[in-house]
Amino acid sequence: MRPPARGGRGGRGFGGRSDGGGRGGRGFGGRSDGGGRGGRGGRGGRTPRGRGVRGGGGRGGPGMKGGSKVVVVPHKHDGVFIAQAKEDALCTKNMVAGESVYGEKRVSVQNEDGTKVEYRVWNPFRSKLAAAVLGGVDNIWIAPGARVLYLGAASGTTVSHVSDIVGPTGLVYAVEFSHRSGRDLVNMAKKRTNVIPIIEDARHPAKYRMLVGMVDVIFSDVAQPDQARILALNASYFLKNGGHFVISIKANCIDSTQAPEAVFAAEVEKLKLEQFKPSEQVTLEPFERDHACVVGGYRMPKKPKAT
Amino acid sequence: MSSLRNSIPRRAHKERAQPESRKKYGLLEKHKDHILRARAYQRKEDFIRNLKEKASFKNPDEFYFKMINSKTVDGIHRPKPEANNKYTEEERMLLKHKDMGYIFQAIQSERKKVERLSSTLHAVDDKRSNKHIYFAEDREEAKEIRSRIGESSSAPQFGNIPSRIKRKTASSYKELESRKERVKNLEKLYADMALQKELKKPGRKRKLREEEILNSTSQPVYKWRAQRKR
Repeated sequence: MRPPARGGRGGRGFGGRSDGGGRGGRGFGGRSDGGGRGGRGGRGGRTPRGRGVRGGGGRGGPGMKGGSKVVVVPHKHDGVFIAQAKEDALCTKNMVAGESVYGEKRVSVQNEDGTKVEYRVWNPFRSKLAAAVLGGVDNIWIAPGARVLYLGAASGTTVSHVSDIVGPTGLVYAVEFSHRSGRDLVNMAKKRTNVIPIIEDARHPAKYRMLVGMVDVIFSDVAQPDQARILALNASYFLKNGGHFVISIKANCIDSTQAPEAVFAAEVEKLKLEQFKPSEQVTLEPFERDHACVVGGYRMPKKPKAT
Repeated sequence: MSSLRNSIPRRAHKERAQPESRKKYGLLEKHKDHILRARAYQRKEDFIRNLKEKASFKNPDEFYFKMINSKTVDGIHRPKPEANNKYTEEERMLLKHKDMGYIFQAIQSERKKVERLSSTLHAVDDKRSNKHIYFAEDREEAKEIRSRIGESSSAPQFGNIPSRIKRKTASSYKELESRKERVKNLEKLYADMALQKELKKPGRKRKLREEEILNSTSQPVYKWRAQRKR
């Protein structure tokens, strides 16, 4: 017999028929050992039937298939990842979990041991560095633990990704002249301990020489006609011998009358005169028009002469 | 009780099919199909009978002005065009302007959606159209670089991505593609409407001939006569 006391939950709505009624229990598969469950009473139980059909319930489909909705694999550059799901995107591991810097999408992945890791999508239409990475550049030199001097930081959208890449052991000095976008930069840097915002003109590195130590990499995105000179000046102050530079060149900003290829070649020549040794150059084609990214070394050690 | 009855297996009911020899007539017609066909036939018969009756009862003296205002073109009845006079010229311009406003709004919202989608869809494993230049100091270095490119040019490895994720990605790309297409169509429509609007405005203009157009396009090109304005 069913214990009448248990009718409390099911029988509430049915005028005190504490006894479950003739057809209590599961909606179908009726001959089951009704005993214990049947006590839930009601009219053949709406809930049990609903669940019986759907199996697992909630997520849909009987028995959730293992695995999450997103797959994240490391990119060939350290600290950069590729997320595949509804999106197919470059991303970096978010240092400040739960926060977007400029409204970008976040993707969180659960590891086997239950810890959650969050990634931020890196938009190549907004970041020239991301465009260069997608363009297949061999080395960006910005890696976990690197110290980076970032010229032309703007609102700090790309800087935030660079800070993600270098991680807590690295350091990013972000130089921006404009106060207006510098404000966003400073706000971003408040949450990221490895970013040091500097609101100064990159043409005068002497003004911030006391703030910046030796760096491994300089990234320059200043879009000025004399950007090679600016880069050289900063490199002479802060870049270690055998360090590296990444410079993004906008052909229009330097000479809008010449063909972009000619402008890039001229810039590379200028860099060579300043003790830089360019190693590669990629155009940022589907993402930016007439832009190139040049990567190379600074005061590289002489190769031993082959005998 | 019915549940008990249902549990006893019964012989399956088999429907008669079209014999092999009559297969050319399609599926075997059942009574309900016949009813449908017969009803359709009867309706047409009725219609024709009705028309015939009307024709036979026609009054030869009957006259309406619509009879001479409207006419048939290739057997198709064309009433006198009067819908166009419903609005004045200014009102029609205003309506067109409103249409354009709506199209423009649609373009903007669609562009925004394209931007949002393309910010997360980077086609990571596609071949790029961009140019990649390596700088070498001498021949040996160039040779070394060339060999290095050869071995490292493989795309990022996505070993075993579950098919459901692949499907999701593919559908996202499809959505992006279709939205881009829609933006293109809407922009074309908008340009067309803008041209029509300009043409409606006063001012002498003429369509340029094929050989007069400097930058050849598939679209028509108009030229307005320069007019001195105060």
